[in-house]
Parts: sequence; C-alpha cells; structure tokens
Amino acid sequence: MALLEVTDLQTHFFTREGVVRAVDGISFSVERGRTLGIVGESGCGKSVTALSIMGLIPKPPARIVGGSVVFDGQDLTKLPEKRLEDLRGREIAMIFQDPMTSLNPTLTIGTQITETIRRHYDVSKQAARKKAIELMEEVRIPRAAESLDDYPHRFSGGMRQRVMIAIALSCDPKLLIADEPTTALDVTVQASVLDLLDDLRHEHDMAMIIITHDMGVVAEAADEILVMYAGQAVEQAPVLELFDHPEHPYTEALLGALPQIEGEGIREGRLTAIPGRPPDLINPPAACRFAPRCPYANDNDTCATEMPDLREIRPGHLVRSTHPASEREGARRGAGVPA
Amino acid sequence: MTKFIVRRVVWTIPVVLLVILLTFGLMRQIKGNPFRTSERAIPAEIQKNLDRKFGLDKPWYIQYYRYVKGVATADLGPSLVLRNRDVNDIVRDHFPKSLELGGLAFLFALLFGIPLGAMSALKANSIFDYGAMFFSNVGYAIPSFLVATLFIYFFALQWDLGFPTSGWNTWQSKVLPVIALGLGPGAAFARLVRGTMLETLQQDYIRTAKAKGLRWRRVVGLHVLRNSLIPVVTAAGPTLGFLITGSFIIEQIFAIPGIGRYYVTAVTARDYSVVMGLTVLLSVIVIFANLVVDILYGILDPRTRDARA
Amino acid sequence: MVVDPAQSKTQQVGAGRVAAAQGPGVGGGSAGAPIRQSNLWKDAWRRYVRNKAAVLAGSVFVLVLLFCLIWPIVSPYDPNAVKFELKNASPSLSHPFGTDNFGRDMLTRTAVGGRVSIGIGFAATLAILLIGVAYGSISGFVGGKLDNGMMRLLDTLYGLPYLPFAIIVLAIFGQANFWTMVVALAIASWFTSARIVRGQVISLKENDYVRAARAVGARWFRVLGRHLLPNTLGVLIIAIFLELPGVILGEAFLSFIGLGISPPNASWGQMANEGRSVYRVAPHIMAVPSIAIATLILCANFIADGLRDALDPRTRET
Repeated sequence: MALLEVTDLQTHFFTREGVVRAVDGISFSVERGRTLGIVGESGCGKSVTALSIMGLIPKPPARIVGGSVVFDGQDLTKLPEKRLEDLRGREIAMIFQDPMTSLNPTLTIGTQITETIRRHYDVSKQAARKKAIELMEEVRIPRAAESLDDYPHRFSGGMRQRVMIAIALSCDPKLLIADEPTTALDVTVQASVLDLLDDLRHEHDMAMIIITHDMGVVAEAADEILVMYAGQAVEQAPVLELFDHPEHPYTEALLGALPQIEGEGIREGRLTAIPGRPPDLINPPAACRFAPRCPYANDNDTCATEMPDLREIRPGHLVRSTHPASEREGARRGAGVPA
Repeated sequence: MTKFIVRRVVWTIPVVLLVILLTFGLMRQIKGNPFRTSERAIPAEIQKNLDRKFGLDKPWYIQYYRYVKGVATADLGPSLVLRNRDVNDIVRDHFPKSLELGGLAFLFALLFGIPLGAMSALKANSIFDYGAMFFSNVGYAIPSFLVATLFIYFFALQWDLGFPTSGWNTWQSKVLPVIALGLGPGAAFARLVRGTMLETLQQDYIRTAKAKGLRWRRVVGLHVLRNSLIPVVTAAGPTLGFLITGSFIIEQIFAIPGIGRYYVTAVTARDYSVVMGLTVLLSVIVIFANLVVDILYGILDPRTRDARA
Repeated sequence: MVVDPAQSKTQQVGAGRVAAAQGPGVGGGSAGAPIRQSNLWKDAWRRYVRNKAAVLAGSVFVLVLLFCLIWPIVSPYDPNAVKFELKNASPSLSHPFGTDNFGRDMLTRTAVGGRVSIGIGFAATLAILLIGVAYGSISGFVGGKLDNGMMRLLDTLYGLPYLPFAIIVLAIFGQANFWTMVVALAIASWFTSARIVRGQVISLKENDYVRAARAVGARWFRVLGRHLLPNTLGVLIIAIFLELPGVILGEAFLSFIGLGISPPNASWGQMANEGRSVYRVAPHIMAVPSIAIATLILCANFIADGLRDALDPRTRET
C-alpha cells in the first residue's frame, strides 16, 4: 500500500466574494522512498494541496470539503487536531518557500531545532542539543556547535533553508513535503539544496513531495510528476515519460517555455509563452478549464462544454484532456471518454 | 549583552544634563518674582538680599553648575516660597505617594490589559472579542477624570462598598484611584496586544511552528507572545512615565497628598527650586523608564542588539 | 527603535495596488481580461465605508462639529448670560442639557465650549504635524550626522514629562488664551509625529520605486512631491486622528487643574472643572462636557482605525 493516498481532495475557501475552489478533486499517491513532484503555475492549488495534507489550511476561510488523505492507513481529514499535532513534525514534515520569514527571529536556531525533538521524544536538553548538532552537520552547516546559539538573522537564505531542512528531519519523518524549497534562493544555492535533499532522502529512506513551478527543479528531483492546473490534476506520469512524451497541451507549453542551452532536440527561436490567464476559481467553468488558452480546442469540441476525465492514456500515464498529443496526429476520435 | 546595557546607561547621563538645562532655561523665562508675597513690590534692598541668599544673583551658568552639583548629591535646594522647607522635604513627604499611585496603576494596566488583548486576539471576531474591544475602546476614550468622578459617584455616594474616595492610607483607599488612573492605559494595552498578536499569528514562522507539531499552548506562549510583546514593551515605557507624571488630576479628585498639587501651586508662585526639583525628578523617572524599555527591547528582540550603533 | 507598522504599510499604498482578494487562485476575471487598476483614494474610500463602526464614528464626529458651529448662532440663549434664579437646573425641555451653576444654558455652552476645545484640538494637531513633518523629513531626508544629532536631541526631549512641560510653557507665556494653549500643547507633543515622519521618509527614501525615479534623473523636489509625500499623506491623515484625542485630553487636563483659558470663553475641560464643586447637587454640569470629550475621543479613535484599515490593503483579520 502506498504511504500516502490522496483521493478526490477538495479544499474550498469561503470568502466574502464567494467560494474559491482552490483544490477541486485531486488524487495521487506517494510510495515509500519515492519523490512526487507537483508542478503548476502560481495559484493552481499546489501549496493548498500540501497544506491540506498537513491540516494546516487556515480554518476560518478554508475547509476540506471532500475527499480523503490516507497516510499510513489513517485518514488525516478525519483525525482530531491533537492527533494531527502528534503526526506533524514526527511522521510528516514540511519545509516552506521563504526561509527568511519561516524562522522565528527571536529564538535561537538551536531552540527551534531542539523544541521539535523534545516535543516528539522524551529526551533531555543535552541529548536534544547533541542531536541538533548532528543534524546541522548533516545539512552541511559549518561550525555547527557554535551556530546553535545564533539567531536566524545572522544566516544567509541558503543556510536558513538548511536549518529548516534540519528541523524537518529531526524526527526522521516518513514523508517530507517541500513547498517551493528553492524558489527564494539564488540559482547556485538552489543546486546545492536540491542535492542535499536528494542525499538525505536516500539516507533516511524518506518519501518526498516537492512542489514547484520550475520544471528544471522537478526534472532533477522527482520520480513522478503531477501537473496541476486551476485546482485540478491535468497530467501525471513518471518523470522521464513526462519529459519525453508530454500529452496535455499545458504540459507541452510548460516544457516549451523552458530555455534550453544545449542538448538534442534543442529548440531554436523564441520561448513559447502561454497566452491568457487561469480561470477565476470562484466560478470555474464546467468545461475544461484550460480550454480558453488551449491551442487545440475549438468551440465544437466536447471540452468546450464538458470537463474531460482523467484517463490512463498509457500505463502509468494519466491525462485530462480531449486533445492529448498522441491523439492529435492521425484520426481524431472526437468526444472524450464519456463520464 | 552587557555592553549593550552599559552603552544605554551611559547615554542617559548627557540626556539628564540636557533636560536640567532645558528646564532651567525654561524656568528662567517665566517672568515673576518668587519672593513676592503680596501685591506690593518688595523693597530693592530686601530683594537683593533674598537674591543673594538663594544665589539668584549669580550668572546663569554658575547657577546651572551649582544646581547640577546639587542634583548629583541629591540636594535639590530650599524652596523659595515656603520658608523652612527644602525641596527634598517636599519630595520625601509627597513623592512616594505619587510614585505608588503611578506604579500601581501601571501594574493594573498591564495585568488587566495584556491578558484581555491576548484573549481577544486568540478568539478573534467572536462575541468575546467584540465585547472586549468595545469595552477597551470606551475605556481608552473616557478621560480619567470622568472615570474618577463616576467612581466617586457610584462607589461612594450611591453604593457604600467600603472604598474610600479620599486619602491614601488603607489599601481600600487605593483601589479606586488606581483603577481610575490605570483603566485608560490598560485599555490601550489591550488594543495594542490584540493588534500585534493578530499580526504575529499571520506570520510564516507560526505556520512553521505548527508544522513542527508543537502544541498550540507552546506556540502561543512562546512563539507568538515573545514577538507580540515587543511593541507593547515599547509603549509601556512612555506609559509608565505618563502615569507617574500625569497623576495630578487623580490626586486632585481623590484628595491624595502627592506632588501634583505642589507642582501647580509652585509654578503659579514662581517657586523656581520646587518646580526645578520636581521636574528634574519626574524627568529622571521618565528617562529611567525609557531606559528599562530599551533594555527589555534588546532582550526580547535579538536583532536590535547587533543593529544599535 | 519604535516598531511602527505604519512604515511598511504605506510602501504598498504608494504602488497603487488593486485591493487584494482573500484566498488564492482568484484571477482578475476571465482568461485574457486585463486587471482593473483602481484609484488609490477611491479604493480606500470604498474600504472605509465598509467599516460600519468607522462610518458611524465619522458621522457622529461631523454632527458634533456641525452642532458646535451652528447651534450658538441659532440658539435663543446667550452662553454667558448669568441668571442666578435658574441655576443648577436639571435637563428639561427648555434646557436640554440643564443649566450650570450660574444659570447659563448648558446646551449652548457646550456648543461654544466645543468650538474652543475642538478648535484648540485641531490647531494644536496641525501645529504638531507641521513641526513633526518639518523636523522628521529634514532629519530623514538629509540623514547622516544631522539625522543622528537631531534624533539624539529628540531622545532628550522625550525625557521631558508631558504635563509638567506644558505647564511650564504656559507659565512662560504668562497667560492662558487660545493660542498660548495651542502652542504649549503642540510643543509638548510633537516628538512622536517627528519620529513617525522620519521613519516614513527613511523607509521611502530607500524604497525601490524612489530609487527608480532617481535613476531616471528625477530632481529631488519631484521625488519628494510625486513619490514621498503622497505616500506619507495617508499616514499623516491617520496621524491627525491619532493626535487629536491626546491634545483634547491635554487641554482638558490643564483646564481641570485650573490652568485653562480664562473665562468666560470656557472649553469643555473648564466646564467640567466648574462642575466639580457642585457635583453632588448637579452632576450634569460636570457630566455633559466630560461625555462630550469622551465622545469626540471615541469617534477619533474609530475613525483612525477605519482609516488605517482602509489605507492598508494588507491588514485583514481572519
């Protein structure tokens, strides 16, 4: 059984302007020791998905209105808050996008690491401190022992992110969710942080979900990729398969927007930008949400009126489109699979 | 850390000196004669003698110097109007009461306002929140003399609950004036704490703390409070100063023998030394309160320790 | 040193942001439609009127102002006419606020007193802001050693206790009339606004869009007028309603201890003081002006809160 099984998750935000359907029926699973990459543009619901798994969505405006999140056999959406608190940091850990603001400026990083350890394990202060130093060394922070008593503002962005990773690993979680871990970092630092994550994942045999809008990052780090658009999954496939044979027009456009410096199949000419904007999630259209921006959609197609289903176009490769790439050359089959 | 504290303390000395100079200069601008006891002018001979006796005939910088020396040795000089009384005597007799009133009011404001504000923030937009904030807004707006008179009206005249409305001896006599004086600042603290806590609760690092699985008690008690109290500490210093120096009204209404009464009459009577003495004393307290605030701020927010030039 | 949330807010204000929606994923209309840029002030107004308490407070405030301005003109009573036979009368139809211990109509006196108190309040607030803006913007804009020196001086001035300071300044003037009051209160209270303005100017000076303006060669007064001031304007408007209560209260305090404006043009504070002696017999004489002061302060607070929320698109409370 998979470590994490998300089925038809729906998270909505109840605001004064209306109900924002931020995550509208997404399903995926993550096996032990494997990495899932979730990609999509800003606002597509990837962060909300991650926060929903952890139960960290802001409860007044937001609520999980449907679906299930089964982790290690338990449905997290049905658990009381206290039980979730026990799981967080211990079984599932999360690191966030902006390391500058994600650490408490008035506490030493030593405190911020040891408090996690002592929350989940009954150990003495000295033991926790020792473990903290080990963790700092593991994430390759120089002068670990002295830095323990320093405050976050003395560290650079890359260092702070390593501290966040150290905190996340402190209790040996089974799953690590990394929400845009490198977006706020310089490119050179990005590479080292990604390498670090990769090494640690193998050493600790940890599953990982890495969320990003950067296809380059996910190509490096993930085993399988889920492409999200406007709150839904539009394509899902193992990483090489996705890059070699993308099916959904959106995925193709994303890959087409990648600058390539060298390699075979290099594209000459301009980068392709995707015209238009994502739909308003308060009243999303009943039709395919990508249709207005899709280069292959016409008004006569079913995708103009009906939402295409997520179907398996090849073993292990799912796509939600009436015009997947492999069906475009040659005879068009018209309507998609009926609901 | 100690370097930080020492630096702050050392800086207060020139500030005190400057304050004395300013007050001194200001006082000298007030036209009038402290020795005049009736409408008639004082004969020139006597005026000269009096001036010499109190050193008022020396040039201003000599007077200033002698005064500073006096302050350093805690000798505030004799009163110019009330013969046979030194400023020190007046201070000793009456100042502790004002200090106690201001101090107790401050404590009341803290103990009442901070928890109220914190609970309001944690239960934001609930009935408790609306009620508490309504109460705070009203409490903040009502001038203390109105509160004081209302208290007297209800607690002394209408319902006889055993809380005296004059004097400052038993603990019961202290209750009403302390609350009357401290209610406004307490309400201000409540509003402030609520605001800062709400802002802190939105911060990313609180989300991180929750993601670590920390218990909510700890998240609030340590992570949220520590960051939220920083602006409160900043506001607390001037508040303490204000409470001690602004208790004149309450003293008048509740007939408390503090220095408030003396201050006003001394200014009107042009009793330079009393006014100087009291003003300097009050200033020292305000400066000291600000110093404590600065140091507390440094303890609470480690970033300022390094940033301070 | 002072943590001033207003500093960071107005940076956003100046960039002319579209009012932010709550929650993610809300794009600006259907695919392809451009984002609608709205005017900053119109936006702020719209947000302000959504706040019911602020609207109520604003209306009451304006009503009180109108009352104080108009009533003395139309009132049948002379606020200073002494009629001992009517003294200490409780509120009635002919005298809705009763009469004071000299038989004068309280309603009219309250209106006249309001003119004095509110007049002093606004005048002193304006003076405070002028001094504060001058001091703060010079200090902040020039920076360097001058800034350091000016701030040290300010730190010292902070050490002077408010009430005693005002008392001394009043004593220097010798007499207490409208203008000496204004000056005394202003001199004792301008420090905070100078600090705030300086903080604003410094943070805006280093702001990226100011740098961008300078980078294309804008002259300093253009930078000041076009970029810095409009942003600071929001903070200043809020500052007016924040300083006003303090000044009104200060004037009331000074009057209450007997240092107020000489009669017969009494302010609210003085009316309250006069009412003190007959408190047990005729509580309304002291209560009416005190409640008037409290009402005005309450309104100013709510207006200030409303303005703060209206001008900063980011303060949203979950």
